[in-house]
Amino acid sequence: MSARTILFLAAIVVFVAVLVVVAVYYHRRGRRTSDGSWEQLLERLTFVDRDGVAQIALDYADESGRRRTEDSDTGLEPSQIWKLIGGLDGLELLEKNCPVLIDLASYVQQWYPEAVVLAEELRLNAREIEWHVERLRGAAKTGNMELSFANYAQPAIAKYYLMTRRVLALYERGNLPMLTDLQRVI
Amino acid sequence: MHLTGLDLLFWAASFVGHVTLLLVLCIRRRVRTFPLFTTFISANILRTIALYLIAHFGTKATYFYTYWYLAILDACLQLGVVYELASGIFRPLGVWAKDVRRSFIWLGSLSVAVAAALTWLASPPTRLWMQSVMIKGNLFSAALMSELFVSMIALSVTVGLPWRTHITRIAQGLGVYSIIDVLVEAAHSYFGLGRDSRAYDDLSHARIAVYLACTMYWIIMLWRDAPQPRELSEQMRRDLLALQGRVGYRLQGLRSRRGQ
Repeated sequence: MSARTILFLAAIVVFVAVLVVVAVYYHRRGRRTSDGSWEQLLERLTFVDRDGVAQIALDYADESGRRRTEDSDTGLEPSQIWKLIGGLDGLELLEKNCPVLIDLASYVQQWYPEAVVLAEELRLNAREIEWHVERLRGAAKTGNMELSFANYAQPAIAKYYLMTRRVLALYERGNLPMLTDLQRVI
Repeated sequence: MHLTGLDLLFWAASFVGHVTLLLVLCIRRRVRTFPLFTTFISANILRTIALYLIAHFGTKATYFYTYWYLAILDACLQLGVVYELASGIFRPLGVWAKDVRRSFIWLGSLSVAVAAALTWLASPPTRLWMQSVMIKGNLFSAALMSELFVSMIALSVTVGLPWRTHITRIAQGLGVYSIIDVLVEAAHSYFGLGRDSRAYDDLSHARIAVYLACTMYWIIMLWRDAPQPRELSEQMRRDLLALQGRVGYRLQGLRSRRGQ
């Protein structure tokens, strides 16, 4: 058997093994998300201070997500926002919760396929939050956190708050019995 | 061209399987949802008829060239089916999800490169260069298809886009078949096609048997209806419609900005 044939056979074995492992891993991960119980879904949410999130978010935008003017905001200082949200760690928790919010919207799709619209909207919002938090991580490395926090933290928190409101509204409009659980955790 | 009883049995089973599947697609009105998949199945029916007639009444050279051209058409249609399934998953609102398109192109390019590398490594022992090209071409196609299906699964789970029932079933069938096909084509490359073609023929029969099982799976799954959705309340419908307009507008905006 030539060296090239041995190399070919080894490459095929590795190739198929990688394909099967990747396919099984993602298939199981996907099943966990779609077939997972309601409790499992809620367990994936990390606790965040909801009142703090709401206070920061409503200082930046109204309930519909419309940006407040200088006159209408309550004028939270960056240092207050930092304290209320728990700094960069707190923002990373919000970022971590975003995929769960998307899954909560996707969960409704098993009864209402049209809820895909909301899941898609949340995916876009999650991308924005990711972008803001990424900027803040970069700023933390370069020592520009103070300036960047004022620019990026509040829009990210406001977006997260809006995401939670939309998920709640979806469950409310659908008259879904899980609404009470959801109101308790997000 | 000499055909064994088993060859004819597989030929007939493949023909009956495809015709039944086409009937299922038409009767259950899935043609509009899966036009490329329907074309792929129809092309397989025509291919079976054409190759059967040429095998009986044509020359070896005609058979070879027809087989080869139709194999290229088959590979193109399989890529079309991948696109159709990907559209169903990654364009939930009719526009490619922003963060998905680039990843999908990147994964597609990587898949082509890996499939090309595997094909380059293969050196099947054959008598004619055309046989080598055929075996390598099949290996490339099988490797590429299996990679694309696995990429689709990984990407959809990563970005959190769910699969609709019938899309899942078609993808499962074609995905499992593609991975087994890689093993069969790798074995074809290893054993080659010499004067004794028994190993090649046995492997081909195994591949066709797997494909027939896959066709049966599609027939059953596409005959069944997807779970019935609940009726939306009027308020919910209004909310989602408004949201759809907003999200659609944002996605269009993103797309037009990218085009500039």
